[in-house]
Amino acid sequence: MDDNTQLTERKTDAIARRDETRGGRRAMTPAVDVFEDAQGVTLWADLPGVTKDKLEVHVHDGNLYIEAKAVVPTPEGLRLQHVEVREPHFARTFMLSADFDSSKIDATLQDGVLKLTVPRREEARPRRIEVRPG
Amino acid sequence: MSNFYFPDDLFGEFDRLQRQMSSLFSGFPTSLRSGPLGAFPPVNIGSTDDTIEIVAFAPGLDPAAIDVSIDKGLLTISGERKPTAPQTREETRSYAQERFFGSFRRMIELPQTADGDKVQARYADGCLTISVGKREASKPRAITVQ
Repeated sequence: MDDNTQLTERKTDAIARRDETRGGRRAMTPAVDVFEDAQGVTLWADLPGVTKDKLEVHVHDGNLYIEAKAVVPTPEGLRLQHVEVREPHFARTFMLSADFDSSKIDATLQDGVLKLTVPRREEARPRRIEVRPG
Repeated sequence: MSNFYFPDDLFGEFDRLQRQMSSLFSGFPTSLRSGPLGAFPPVNIGSTDDTIEIVAFAPGLDPAAIDVSIDKGLLTISGERKPTAPQTREETRSYAQERFFGSFRRMIELPQTADGDKVQARYADGCLTISVGKREASKPRAITVQ
């Protein structure tokens, strides 16, 4: 089976790419974009249907955990007929190296997209070292 | 976090295979227009006695830029998702770009019972919920035995 017939297919496959087992339940791995510049790392994660109170971002033992539950309001007596999103849980973990300042992580959630900014420690930011004539 | 022993893609393959198998054998015939598995946005469809409910999982869109239309029982959801724009400061490195970007279009065949004049669409928390009413005649009703 060829996975590469369509570029977009491969990209969105990442949404449910690897089911992780956490606490006995299966969760989807959200698709992410990760960029780094001199200030630190910015991460975007797709979490459709997740509200602020159902999202938990925490740092433990140098790992950054993103855990969320999607809630889509549905009318009573709904019978599902076609299902592409099975699990309403999202979970993904990243390792944080020591040069990031985990106490200054900033998180915003808008329209189901989480934006995390992870700043570098002041002393870990790139500096230009002045070369003086000897 | 990638597993040290197995490349991520192996799980992706298993997962994809499993989803394809389950969709083949889940008992619901798929439509000719259903498109490839894993197309953006993923869609769940269900129905109640009065409505057909469609949920498209499409985070990070401008509601004004989502185009929902119905033509002869065919519901189309289309739009464009912009790529993440990092603040173009001095050198920016990209480590992952898994999130979908570009234009998308999903077609959903509505059953005969759907009433194209009774459609409501709502976008909240990255989910587009579309509710299509059913024709009066198709609603379940009790038949009096004479």
